[in-house]
Amino acid sequence: MEINIAGNPSFAYATVDLSPNEYIVTESGAMATMDASIDLDSKLNGGFLTGLARKFLGGESLFINHFSNRTSSPRRMTITQPTPGSMVLKELGNSTICLQPTAFIACEPSVRLNTKFAGFVSFISGEGLFKITVSGPGRVLFGAFGGIIEREVKGEMIIDTGHLVAYEPQLNLKIQMSGGIISSITSGEGLVTRVEGNGKIWIQTRNLQGFASWMNRFF
Amino acid sequence: MQIEITHRPGSAVAKVNLGAGESITAEGGAMVAMSPNIRIETTTQKKKGGGGLLSGVKRLLASESIFFNHFEAHTQAGEVFLGTSLTGDMIVLDVDPSKKIYVQGGSYVASTNNVNFETVWQGAKNIVSGESFFWIELSGSGQTIINAFGVIYPIDVDGEYIVDTGHIVAYESGLQFNISKAGQSWLSSFLGGEGFVCRFSGKGRVWCQSHSSASFGQSIAPHLRPVKSS
Repeated sequence: MEINIAGNPSFAYATVDLSPNEYIVTESGAMATMDASIDLDSKLNGGFLTGLARKFLGGESLFINHFSNRTSSPRRMTITQPTPGSMVLKELGNSTICLQPTAFIACEPSVRLNTKFAGFVSFISGEGLFKITVSGPGRVLFGAFGGIIEREVKGEMIIDTGHLVAYEPQLNLKIQMSGGIISSITSGEGLVTRVEGNGKIWIQTRNLQGFASWMNRFF
Repeated sequence: MQIEITHRPGSAVAKVNLGAGESITAEGGAMVAMSPNIRIETTTQKKKGGGGLLSGVKRLLASESIFFNHFEAHTQAGEVFLGTSLTGDMIVLDVDPSKKIYVQGGSYVASTNNVNFETVWQGAKNIVSGESFFWIELSGSGQTIINAFGVIYPIDVDGEYIVDTGHIVAYESGLQFNISKAGQSWLSSFLGGEGFVCRFSGKGRVWCQSHSSASFGQSIAPHLRPVKSS
């Protein structure tokens, strides 16, 4: 399977070449174009009840798609994300990373995909009630609104809410005020996420709520 | 005449260099900047050719402006910069008599004088296609400028190819499309969030946009505040 990202950093999309009998797992609605002989099977993303809970509480898709090449020669498709921004293709090896629910786009079939309860603190901070964990071997494709900064955390780092896209599972996330009560409100930073431990994080350079609240001033 | 696209793909703009006496026709509202000697004439039709107010109304239904602006370098050479409202790409396509090009309503920016321009109805399929009801049919010879939300990439189709609704920018007349499903099963297509798709058949090129403005609209809408009624 050949996966190539084009259009970074503003308008990333990915071209996927499927060899005969290969398939790729994608987020619901991610297909933009494909050869007409590629087949689509939609699968429940986990059990039905947990799927429903995730859909209505976590804003996630109930179904996940398998696009298969059942022909005898290579076939091409392109996949995209709803927001303009960057994509990252990561070879997981034997590691696991945690993704915000809207960041997941696609993965190879060998990747194990799980949804985990992220806690009410995560929900309050606008990061969603659930998080997706992806475990190798295999490659995962994830995306963001805006560019993506990859950063090695040593000790701790503060990130504004709505900007954390992905992180390694050994890191601990805590929500706190950016300063005192007054400065947290007046600085425009409000709540921030404190990441503690040693490991990699991926940050998006824009956030959708921020963009929306800027637009809201004109309505 | 020379057309140069810069600032691709995020914030593309077209710089049109007009020689003395040359002109270009653009969608109303496309001009960003121009030399002082350029004359603008506004009509509801192409400069040389048919179509009155009715074709203007048809264009309005095609998500285009009802008016055209004709930019003419009057006595000496000049330049016009043409832009669009959406962030994204622009490309120049060559139009020649061997084929027609159909442009998605809303993606048309401008064309040179010998390109004929017609707003066409492509049937009820466009009600579900997520594209606009009317398309712009370009024929004749010359150049045209089109724009998109995101990156524009071409796909050369020979046989059948699927493009999700909301991702078509333009296609050549060797192709037809109908509304179909992704894969073998209607159920999977709907459960999988793909719903209706456009199935192209024939031989020719289709230009796609990397992003769908409708999908972006749906992801940002929950964060927007309803308009206050005054």
